[in-house]
Amino acid sequence: MDFDAIVVGSGITGGWAAKELTEAGLKVLMIERGREIRHQQDYATETKAPWELPFRGQGDAALYRREYPVQMLNRHFTEFTQGHFVNDAQNPYSTGADTDFTWFRSYQLGGRSLTWGRQSYRWSDYDFEANQRDGHGTDWPIRYADLAPWYDKVEDFIGVSGQAEGLAQLPDGRFQPGMALNVVERHTREAIRAKWPERCLTIGRTANLTQAKPDEGRGACQNRSICARGCSYGAYFSTQSSTLPAAMKTGRLTVITDAVVEALDYDPATRRVSGVRWIETKTRQRQVARSRIVFLNAGAFNSVHILLNSVSAAMPNGLANSSGVLGTHIMDHANTLSAMALMPGFEGHTTFGNRPTGAIIARYRNLETMDGVGHTRGFSFQGGALQSTWTAGKREAGIGADYKDKLRHPGMWKMVLVGFADCVPRATNRLTLDRRRTDANGLPLLKIDFAFGAEEHAALAQAKADAAEMLTAAGGTVIMGFDRPGAGGTAIHEMGGARMGHDPASSVLNRWSQAHDVANLFVTDGAQMSSSACQNPSLTYMALTARACAAAVSMLREGRI
Amino acid sequence: MTDATGWNRRDVLGAASLVALAFGLPLAAVEWSAVPAEDRPGPADRALLREVSQLVIPRTATPGAGDVGAGDFVLLALAHGLDASRRPPGAITPDLLPHLRPDGSLRHAAWLAAELDRRGGGRFMAAAPPRRAELLAALDAEAFAEGAGDNPWRTIKGLILTGYYTTEIGGSRELRYELVPGRYDPDLPATPQTVAFSSDWTAVDFG
Repeated sequence: MDFDAIVVGSGITGGWAAKELTEAGLKVLMIERGREIRHQQDYATETKAPWELPFRGQGDAALYRREYPVQMLNRHFTEFTQGHFVNDAQNPYSTGADTDFTWFRSYQLGGRSLTWGRQSYRWSDYDFEANQRDGHGTDWPIRYADLAPWYDKVEDFIGVSGQAEGLAQLPDGRFQPGMALNVVERHTREAIRAKWPERCLTIGRTANLTQAKPDEGRGACQNRSICARGCSYGAYFSTQSSTLPAAMKTGRLTVITDAVVEALDYDPATRRVSGVRWIETKTRQRQVARSRIVFLNAGAFNSVHILLNSVSAAMPNGLANSSGVLGTHIMDHANTLSAMALMPGFEGHTTFGNRPTGAIIARYRNLETMDGVGHTRGFSFQGGALQSTWTAGKREAGIGADYKDKLRHPGMWKMVLVGFADCVPRATNRLTLDRRRTDANGLPLLKIDFAFGAEEHAALAQAKADAAEMLTAAGGTVIMGFDRPGAGGTAIHEMGGARMGHDPASSVLNRWSQAHDVANLFVTDGAQMSSSACQNPSLTYMALTARACAAAVSMLREGRI
Repeated sequence: MTDATGWNRRDVLGAASLVALAFGLPLAAVEWSAVPAEDRPGPADRALLREVSQLVIPRTATPGAGDVGAGDFVLLALAHGLDASRRPPGAITPDLLPHLRPDGSLRHAAWLAAELDRRGGGRFMAAAPPRRAELLAALDAEAFAEGAGDNPWRTIKGLILTGYYTTEIGGSRELRYELVPGRYDPDLPATPQTVAFSSDWTAVDFG
């Protein structure tokens, strides 16, 4: 099989690579390790009610303990969505002795684009200059201006709803109308702004359409907030709803599912990837295909896994690893519940509908003034205000008719702020191959060594204090708050491992997401990230992918690769 | 017809089905074959959990938790370990000891039966209905008192609520259920009569 391009992975960035490359006229093969999931046809639980499932949406806890001990820790993992997450028992990974890392994964056509949180934020030069500024990691070889037009392109296509705020640290995008803050969030926004003008609470910028895109077969969000089941309206961005139909429309895309890529072949004579090898998981048959360029979009850690496993006489430490930094400097946002407060005074107010996004407070520390206590980067908050419902009864005394009547009505308003802190890139946080254990395909397991450091702990301590201060200023009564991060992976923003940089001696990729060592190899998922910022990274992955595709196509046309 | 487990259809549906039929509403029946044999409940367990569920959420204008089969759901949930109910108790008190499984987890239903019998000085199910309510209310008050430690009743009660509000009756008749709201209204007037939505998934998760 010969193609112009092979795209490994079909998630958020794989879908983008397939779309951009096919629309540029290339014949593309997309290889997905998981099963096929067809848009609108295979969202098996989308319209189910709790009473239509054996465990009422809670799931079989015994099964989960046995086969999904990691995935069950993801708050989006339920009986409704379990089919969109991996079986941990069948897909093991290793961790270092001191590592607590929950790796949340979705191996299927569409990958985690089916289950992602849809929060879509631009990074700013505070982020692209962060490594240069404080000396952690290596300097990004790009700046915001390099990416701005690609953010425009991505936002236009996927549909991001949000409110422009004019913040340098969180640049505005090409937004569809933002969803509405609820009554308590509006009050809190104003209370915070009155005391701290530099702190901005705004509606989450989310890849849920507030205006339909009928030409692309996508309807507006119905405010169900059950996105991870799959959305037949196509109202949130996923590979299935958006990029895959666009790529298929060209007639130049071939998709193979149930195929785990084990390695890339390298030709030392041409210094190019010469083939992509995979194992058909249903038959255990091995296959290979060739192409002029290869895009790795298997997800940050799995793309690194493939490179580490692609050893040859010429590259004994893994493909594109002459620097020796492949696998190092992995990151995930440190996050925790910074504050929860009761918000009295709104008993006469309620809402209707399930808004599929929350509110955020953009970063405000360590911008022009270095005002972080014990840390040099930023943190932001995601959360929102909500009313309690029947589950609050699990924490309350009472039985009988009065108790039942109390649970019949919306409960107390609460406001929640979850802190997300920038994760400093460290060489000791790294991925390696576990040479002692293999998976069902005979491939060495990926081993994760990871720990947060003093910077992340300091940032979350300050986030806790700030969150309490803000909610108190808004009239809230803080009832809890934490400053210790959850396990690594909790934010589901794992990234790095094949970082971008100026110098081939200290980075894997150049400014075009292209391997320094291998000209026809591009890595455009989270693996390419050189720092983590404190905002959600997927929009940036997509913009970098679209940019890399354009560069690759130019290089091909100019005969440079 | 009796199946290999010794349970027949009447056992599975029980008296709750009569109530459901009377209200013209569907009943959420439990599939007992999914329950390991050692955790499969007997008639006394099911009768107790039905009664206790009904005491927590009684019949008002809508059926109670016992009516809609919440007791059976609790037994299923306990067998599978929902709400961390198969996690060994944090503190082992003398009343728990006789009811621990080999893996250290608690047989909640057995504990509850013994605890209620102990409190009443005889068989709980033989007591008059007002006395049963009184005994359960006392247990509930102790379990949720400020500073109270772990108490298995908290887990059981939580599962009763899950077992009720995730049925069609609890979720869509007692509360409101809207799968496709179609819009978001950020500020509506609320009155003491406003009924909550069981389909407010964020509230269910974080409320």
